[in-house]
Amino acid sequence: MSIDIQGLHKRFGNFVALENINLEIPAGQLVALLGPSGCGKTTLLRIIAGLETADEGNILFDGEQASQHARDRRVGFVFQHYALFQHMTVFENIAFGLRVRPRSRRPSETQIRAKVHELLGLIQLEWLAPRYPSQLSGGQRQRIALARALAVEPHVLLLDEPFGALDTKVRKELRRWLRRLHDELHVTSVFVTHDQEEALEVSDQIVVMNHGRIEQIGTPEEVYDAPATPFVYQFLGNINLFHGRAHSGWVRLGGLRLQAPEYQDAQHVPAMAYVRPHDIDLLREPEDGDTTIPARITRISILGSLVRLELLQTEDGEITEVEMTRERFAADQLKTGDLVFVKPRHLRVFLQEEENQTTPLPHWQGHGDGI
Amino acid sequence: MMSRLRQPSVLPGFGLTLGFTLGYLCLIVLIPLAMAFSKAFEVSWSEFWGIVTAPRVLASYRLTFGASFLAAAVNTGFGLVVAWVLVRYRFPGKRLVDALVDLPFALPTAVAGITLTTLYSSNGLIGQFLKPLGLKVAFTPLGIIVALIFISLPFVVRTVQPVLEDLEHEVEEAATSLGAGRWQIFYRIIFPAIRPALLTGFTLAFARAIGEYGSVIFIAGNLPMVSEITPLLIVSKLEQYDYQGAAAVSVVMLIISFILLLLINLLQRWSRLRHG
Repeated sequence: MSIDIQGLHKRFGNFVALENINLEIPAGQLVALLGPSGCGKTTLLRIIAGLETADEGNILFDGEQASQHARDRRVGFVFQHYALFQHMTVFENIAFGLRVRPRSRRPSETQIRAKVHELLGLIQLEWLAPRYPSQLSGGQRQRIALARALAVEPHVLLLDEPFGALDTKVRKELRRWLRRLHDELHVTSVFVTHDQEEALEVSDQIVVMNHGRIEQIGTPEEVYDAPATPFVYQFLGNINLFHGRAHSGWVRLGGLRLQAPEYQDAQHVPAMAYVRPHDIDLLREPEDGDTTIPARITRISILGSLVRLELLQTEDGEITEVEMTRERFAADQLKTGDLVFVKPRHLRVFLQEEENQTTPLPHWQGHGDGI
Repeated sequence: MMSRLRQPSVLPGFGLTLGFTLGYLCLIVLIPLAMAFSKAFEVSWSEFWGIVTAPRVLASYRLTFGASFLAAAVNTGFGLVVAWVLVRYRFPGKRLVDALVDLPFALPTAVAGITLTTLYSSNGLIGQFLKPLGLKVAFTPLGIIVALIFISLPFVVRTVQPVLEDLEHEVEEAATSLGAGRWQIFYRIIFPAIRPALLTGFTLAFARAIGEYGSVIFIAGNLPMVSEITPLLIVSKLEQYDYQGAAAVSVVMLIISFILLLLINLLQRWSRLRHG
């Protein structure tokens, strides 16, 4: 079932939680709402579920106005902290949605039993049926919560930071499992996360949110490779930031001079450029034409298959971070203290006025320019 | 034996604390109770039996336990509503209401008894309106129940309140999104969660009501066979220097109370086992 969100506004007192949200979620997709805490993503999810009401705007399911009350919306909601019924067994938890149906639509005991066992089979936890939630691990609890939500055959599945309370290893397992499950069931799903890796790995579409607004909607490739705003650039993946000026189709960033035809009309406008750490080459010799910046390697960390290098630009003392494969690192024979020349391969320039609209995240401040 | 009981723990002192607990319980609970038993059996078994099965004594047992049970039951329902309102809603004067709940704990029971009697007597502030309806509260068993409700109100409220506060709101939202109605959420989700606390509150209120003396004697009228509670009967036996008789009645009351409390505890255990 498709979800159509039109002109949604929501305030809590003076705090604007959502501002003019317009979003179309096609049927059968798995969509991630991604953003820092407090960006409104959970509020949006709760409004879709009917657990919260919007001040303005509409939610349409398959083109029709969604029912007023959460009870009638037929959405499956999965909470970060599971919200299982502690006094019921796993079996009864999953059966709950069927048992509370009005008598006329309530399945028989045999049908309920069959449905619950089918779902337990789907989440591969059949042997847990007689246990109580307090006897299960976090990962098991979240799978039970998902089965409970699926029992009512929801039109839409909504997951609020579903893996947020789990440890890294379980989280990775579960999100792959969720993706496989979604490919099997094809129920339209929306999940909220602040973990960019999770969003990139699992979803068909990513909706990046900040300060109650949507910054960008796109496939994982689109939002990662072509971020629409500086915020998206910063939020998805690591970045290096260079400050400079744009003038008549050229951008000067410290020692770098680049062509920027899109800013043909700019006249000495402050600009900033974003470069991913893996989009940088390190050269032993400078290139002609101001395309490289000299820097000294100050630290080398080996992160599994990747090597991360921290460099200090010799001209202005700014820090740059570079990532490369181990093979490349070994071939180049780089050592701490080496003088190298930084050459960005892909670089995205934003003019300063744009930047003013979005403020960088607090924990990236004071980090220098290198991330 | 001792080494088998000893459990390794970061805090030592099992022997010391167990010894202290037993000694303390002996001094405060067991020795006084044993005294009552020994006094009661200074008379022969048949005399004892005669004392404790006298019609007037039996009537007082029925009244004491019956009225206490009813008062505790009323408070279980009423206390739940009070706790619910205090936890779920915000309203002006909430802290005042919260403090008011504890007042029956602090008020001297005689004051409570006299006040209630004045209010509910046939020309009292409330009693005058009940009289045309044919309801007589003061100086009847009904008055006893009213007094017992008053003094045992805080127990249910105070045991249920923290449990209600700890209930996750998300659990109710989960139930809503699964299609449960309000009433279904209450009796399938909330009620099972607070049931042990309700039962504890009921037990405490019941126990407190059984032992109540001060407030009841003012409002009861104390008519033998009709509105005379067991504690009063014991006191009046003492006033007639019938120490053995007083002790015999107390012992029976003790035994019944103990059995009832034990049963309620077992019920609670059973309900906890059954519902995790």
